[in-house]
Formats: sequence, structure tokens, C-alpha cells
Amino acid sequence: MMKQVNILFKKEMLDAYRDKRSVMAGLYYAFGAPIVMCLLFSVLLQQMASPEALKITISGAERAPNLVQYLDSVDISHSDEADTKPIRLEIDDAYPQDMATGRSATVVIVADKSDSKLIKSVRRLETALLRYNSEVAGLRLVARGIDPGLMRALDVQTQDQATPDAKGGLFLGIVTLSIIIAVFYSAMNLGIDTSAGERERNSLALLLSHPLSSMQIVLAKVAAIATFSVLGLALVLIVSKFAYAMVAWEQLGFSITLDLRFIVVSLIIGIPIALMSASMLIFVSFMAKSFKEAQSYVTMVLMVPVGLSMMTSYDIATETIQWLPIAAQQYAMIELIKGNALPLAPLAVASVSTLALFGLFTYLSSRMLKSEKVVFGL
Amino acid sequence: MTNNRGRIRTLFRHSFIALGLLSAFASYATTPETAELTPCYTKGLPDRLMCGSVEQPLSAKDNNEKISIHFAVIPAIKQVHPSEAILAFAGGPGQSAIEVAAVFARVLRYAREDRDIILVDQRGTGKSTLLQCDMDPLEAQFAFNDDALPIFEYSRAETQKCKTKLNTNLSHFTTVAAASDFEAVRLALGYQKLHLFGASYGTRIAQEYMRRYPQAVASATLDGVVPMQQSLVAIGEAIDDSLQAIFTDCADTTDCSQQYPQLEQQYQTLLTKLEVQPASVQIPHPRTHRSISLVLTQNKVRSAIRMALYSHTTRALVPLAISEANRENYLPLVGLMGSDTAFGSLAMGMHSAIVCGEDWPALTAEERARFSATYFGRMMIESLDASCPIWQVDAVEKSFYQPLTTEIPTLLLSGGLDPATPPEWAELAMVNMEHARHLIAAEATHGVAAQSCADKLVAEFIDHGELKTLDASCLDKTAVRRYFMNPNGPVLVKEEP
Repeated sequence: MMKQVNILFKKEMLDAYRDKRSVMAGLYYAFGAPIVMCLLFSVLLQQMASPEALKITISGAERAPNLVQYLDSVDISHSDEADTKPIRLEIDDAYPQDMATGRSATVVIVADKSDSKLIKSVRRLETALLRYNSEVAGLRLVARGIDPGLMRALDVQTQDQATPDAKGGLFLGIVTLSIIIAVFYSAMNLGIDTSAGERERNSLALLLSHPLSSMQIVLAKVAAIATFSVLGLALVLIVSKFAYAMVAWEQLGFSITLDLRFIVVSLIIGIPIALMSASMLIFVSFMAKSFKEAQSYVTMVLMVPVGLSMMTSYDIATETIQWLPIAAQQYAMIELIKGNALPLAPLAVASVSTLALFGLFTYLSSRMLKSEKVVFGL
Repeated sequence: MTNNRGRIRTLFRHSFIALGLLSAFASYATTPETAELTPCYTKGLPDRLMCGSVEQPLSAKDNNEKISIHFAVIPAIKQVHPSEAILAFAGGPGQSAIEVAAVFARVLRYAREDRDIILVDQRGTGKSTLLQCDMDPLEAQFAFNDDALPIFEYSRAETQKCKTKLNTNLSHFTTVAAASDFEAVRLALGYQKLHLFGASYGTRIAQEYMRRYPQAVASATLDGVVPMQQSLVAIGEAIDDSLQAIFTDCADTTDCSQQYPQLEQQYQTLLTKLEVQPASVQIPHPRTHRSISLVLTQNKVRSAIRMALYSHTTRALVPLAISEANRENYLPLVGLMGSDTAFGSLAMGMHSAIVCGEDWPALTAEERARFSATYFGRMMIESLDASCPIWQVDAVEKSFYQPLTTEIPTLLLSGGLDPATPPEWAELAMVNMEHARHLIAAEATHGVAAQSCADKLVAEFIDHGELKTLDASCLDKTAVRRYFMNPNGPVLVKEEP
């Protein structure tokens, strides 16, 4: 029996290989996604960073020369040029009087805080003003013979257990999401073609007329599709490794490093997903009546794994979700990048249930192939 | 070797599934260290560091006694150069590098983006057999009349007390003895090349390390340079110059000269008055606010003002403090004395080991006369003459005082207002350096990288090893603060009726 499946598998692989368009469509994703992501991230990081020299509008600067001088020393200065950020710092008329007499001197920041391109610069200005505030306040105490340490009633120390590799947060989720999705997308066209396509070309009936069980046919097709999925996964992993290494994460205080260990483990935990995805593609394609219909069904059904993966990426309801297929594997990948221990229990449960789904879809597909309605798309 | 196995065991636990492939990439995943590292934290820095220690012989002669040299690694944000690291040397001498990890992490934040930072507690400091003398509590320091006894007598008594407490041979704690510890840490961590960053006294140990292990050094940054041929006792002139800059600056500024006319004379008047008769007053304790007694002597005033010279923020208070003290309001001076915790964290035993072994024994009669021209030079020589014969530290070899001859690219940084290591010292240090560049931030004080754009220049220098292309124009940017015109701030206006 295995021999026949093997021969059939080879035939499917040859078929797939000859269908250059489906193969390329799948591999485009594996190649393109990390590169597009990498470019997007680079642009995003640039937007999030505050420029080295922050230029703003300062009105009433002559009333607070020491403050203006301080801001200048931390590269925040007044400018009338075109590259000035739309942030205005207004120094109150009473500033000198208030400062000299020990009252709070008012400065007003005018800016649109919903502008995400501006937020980092606004925060930088706020932080600088807070620092100046505590510097002057501290010196006021020193001038009165009081230890300025008194203002720190609590000495709050944070011990962050994260490594620089673990601080990627949402970025880690998006990176792993794009990798997991590759398993589904890199063989999607192939899956539809080898089932719904074969039926439309009338070669499915021919295949069934051979002395083969429908289970053998389904298994061979699943194996071929899964092989392409794993190839796509391997490709996306390798491209990601190099693409993400080029993003200047370190400017935000973290890094995302995909090492060899990550690639190997991801490939291993990706195999059950590839089998499940392949069997699901075939099942859904046979359910449809035509090639076109199969395409829209598959796109809809793929929303489920993508959704699971998105929920992991955005950290929604992780406690429950992390035991489900796809989500568990992705969670494991995130932990691996962070340098934490693999969550073995959820990973094992999810891998078993992923394989169970593969069994179920394969069984259902082979049952369907016994029905004339399915075979002739009636 | 055993530690390597420990590493692999950790890998096992982490990647149970990849078991079969483990041996294939174990060597890849293993970082080059052989020292046992455990996560640790230091004050003011939330990042997780990796701490460890190496055993080193206490004495170069017999290997019986061991000393644990503790170190911490601040991990790079993105490890681009795993075979390289930045080794940062603390100042003092006597400061613990690990305790001030937060400062190094800030000053070297750009350099840290792609390289680890190693901090080693030099022997005698921090966790590496701390040699600390007992310090009087603040109340006792305030009440003590340090003018009643000659400094010589006072210093001798203090030293005898500390020597009894520490009961160790300080000759094992000199710069030369420590240099091999740093190399042992490098070897244990498996780095091939180091970029040195030394500040203040840290520049001396950095130069000694460069002299002994040139093959391990890719580049060196010396910030606030102590030349090998210079005694720390020469510091007096720098202190005077740095204070003089405030007097000149205040006289040249309208507001300041109006509010504090003839500041320099005011200072002299105050010192002369206290020299004749120290002021004895009751003041509120800087923290508890309980009434305590203060005997204000010339030495206490000079020391408080000296410490204020180190930072731009406290420099802003100097005119106010002098002027108020002249009117017998000593509170601003008390404030400057009360916040003086910098010396509290110095390991004074280790400090003595360095100074008595390196800065005191080679002083010539000519030098003694020259350095004694300043108040602090005179005080230091007097106190070392008292304490060093008690400590009995072996004098360092004469060759130690040779200026460093090296081809290693070296960046030297100086602050024009530095009250400790003036720019002339850096010029002296670089006479035999082949690839060196000296950058001066005219308005910086001690520690240029912490108060200017030099932090970026250091990172750029470490990345490219190129001295000529560094654009030093940004060092002109000033971090100077305006002087306080009254206890509320730098604004001069008439007070409300």
C-alpha cells in the first residue's frame, strides 16, 4: 500500500512542479512577506523615533533663558524652519516672577497627541521638562540646606526579567504570524489545483479508476501539498532570519534574532501544521463544486488559522488560546525567540490535536471520494 | 569544560523536541563564555545583567590565597559582535564598577546597541573583597572641628584605625595587581577583543591593561585622563582653575556680578574669617531636620565647594553658597555638604593602596614644592605623608611611570572645566601614543561622555575604529546652567512685597 502511495506522491510532486504558476504563487509569499515586513518595520521604527535634533516652536523664550539653554543641551530647540515639528512650548508671562519667588512657573505644551508621528517627540519634550523641574526643585532644597533625596520617599527599583530579545512585544507576534501563515499560503494554490483542479480537468475520475483506495489517493495528495508547505516554511524562515536582522531594532532597545535553533524547532513543530493544512485544503476543495468556488471557500476557511494566530500576536485571551492548534505552536515560537523554555505541555496537546485534525480531514476526504456527486462535482 | 556541559544541559531543557539535532548545533548556540553566569540586577538599572566571578591568586608571588573577582555583563541590545565587548573601568580609585552599572549603561548606551559591556569590581572594591574604612556618621562629621588638630595627626589616627580593621596587605591591591584580574575575566568570558572605556582613575588602569595585554585591545577611550607619569596629588591646580572659571564667569555676567559682586574676594574673606575662628552654629539636619551642631572650618568650606565643582547643576549654586555664607547663612553650604555622598561609596582602603603605592612614593622634592602651592595639594601630601608609612604599600616599579607607548587607536576626552583631570593631563598621556586623538569639550567638567554628545562619538569610534573622521563640533554645545540668583532659581527679579 505504501508503495502505491509513494508512486502517487511522486506523480503529484511532478504535477505540482510542472504547474510553475501555482508553485511560484506560493513561494512568492514565502519570499515576499518577510521582505515587505522588514521594509514596513523599518519605516515604522523611523516614524516612532524622535529626531536627534528636535525642533519646536518656543514662544516667550526670553523669559526663561536657563530653561531654553537646558532644552538646547538635550537637543530640543526653537526653530522657524520647515522641518519644525508642530509642537509649541509657551512660556507664561509670569514665569520670571513665579520662578524667582518660588511659585510654580507655568509652561504650556501645545500639540496634537493623537498624531502618532508626533507622540515620541512630545514625550521627549515632557521628559526633558520633568528632568529640568526636578533639577531646579532639587537645587532649591540644597540652597536651603536640605538633602534633595528627601523628595524620593520611595526608591522604586524595577528588575526587568526580559532579555533584549524578549522585549519585542507586538513585533514578535507579527514576525511569527507571518511565518505561520506561510505554511498555509505557500501551498494553497497547489492544494486547490490538485483536488478541485484535477476534478475539473477530468483526471480525477481516471485516477480513481486505478486499483487504488481513495485513502491512498488522499494521502499522496496531502503528502505532496504538505511537502510544499514545509518547503515554503523553510524558505520563509531563512529569508526572515536575514531580513529581520537588518531592521534596526536596537534603537528601540530590543532585538529580534532568529537563530538556527529557532529555525530547526520551527520546522519540526510546523510539520503537523503542514499536514493539517494540506488535508484541510483538500477537504474544502472537494466540498466545492468548481475550482473557482474552491478558491473562495479556501480563502474563507483560512481565516480560522489566521485568526488564531492573530489572537496570539495581539495577546488576546492567551491563557485559553495557547492550548489550541496554531496558537500553541506560534506561542512556542515566540517563547523560543525570547529565549524562554518551550511551553511543552500546550505544544504537545496542540500538536496532537493538529494531527487529529489531519486524520479527520483525510478520512472525510477519502469518504467523499467514494461519492459520485463529489467526484464529478455535481 | 564543566560549565560548557552546563550550558548544553540548559539547551536540553529548552529544546526538548529538537533533541536529535542538538549535537549538530550545540556549538553554534553556545556563547563563548566558560564562566558560570547568573542573572543579577543593580541599583537604578532595570535591565537583567549576567553576573559571575573568577578566582585569582591574591599575591603574585605565592598562589595559596585566592581572591574572587566579581563581574557583571550588560548584554548588548543586538549582539552583532559576539567576539567583542566593551570593558569599562570605574574611577575613584575605589569605586565599584558594578554599583555604577546604571551610569555606564547610560553613558555607553549607543555603544551597547551591538556590543556587551563588561564591568569588573576591581580588587578591593564592591564585591571583590571590599576594603572600606569606617566612616563617621554625618552628625559627627558636621560637629567635628578638623582645624583643632593638624591634618597629619588626624590622618595618622584614622589610618591606624582602618589598618586594624582591614588587617590585610594593601600591596596586593595596586593597579598592577589588578590588571591581570581584568584579563582573567576576559578569558573566562571568551571575548577575543575588547574596547576599553576608562573614566578618571579608570583611565590609569586602562592604560596599564593596554601596556600589558595589547593583543586583547581593539580600541581605548580615556575620559578624564590620568597620565601614567602624573601623580593624583597634582589635582590641586585643576580644582583652583575650575573654581576660578566660576569667579571669572560671574564677574563677566551682568546678573551675577550685580547679585554677587566681587565673588572671589567674598570667598577669600570667608576663608580667612573661618581660618581665624571656625563658625559654630546649630543647623537643621539635612534629612531629619533635627537641630545639630556644625563647626564650619575653612577645610569644610573648601571641600564642599570642591565637590560642587564636579557637576553643572551644583556649580550653579556656588556663588549663592559663598555669598550667603559670608552673611553667616550657612545653609546652602550645608546643602552642598549634605549631598556629598560621592566619597561615601569609595573603598578607602583600596584607594589608599593605589595612592600610597603609585602616587606618593615617587614624589620628588621639586614636585612636593610645586603641588604644595595649592591648598588641596598641600593637604593631600600632608595626609599621605601621615598615612602611607602606616599602610606600608610596596612602591610600584619605576617603569610604571613611563608614558604608555601604543599603536592601539585611542580617543582621549577632556573637559575644560574639569576640577580633577584637566586637558593638559591628556596631552601628557598621549606623548607616545601613535594613533590617538584628544577631544576637549570646553565647558564640560569631569567625565565628558556623561555630559555631552561624546557618548555618540565613543560609539562611533568603537564601531569604526576611526579617529580622524569623528566630528567633534557637537562638543561645543554647552551643558552649563545659569547661576542661582536666589534660593529659588536663576531668575533675578525683585521679590514680591
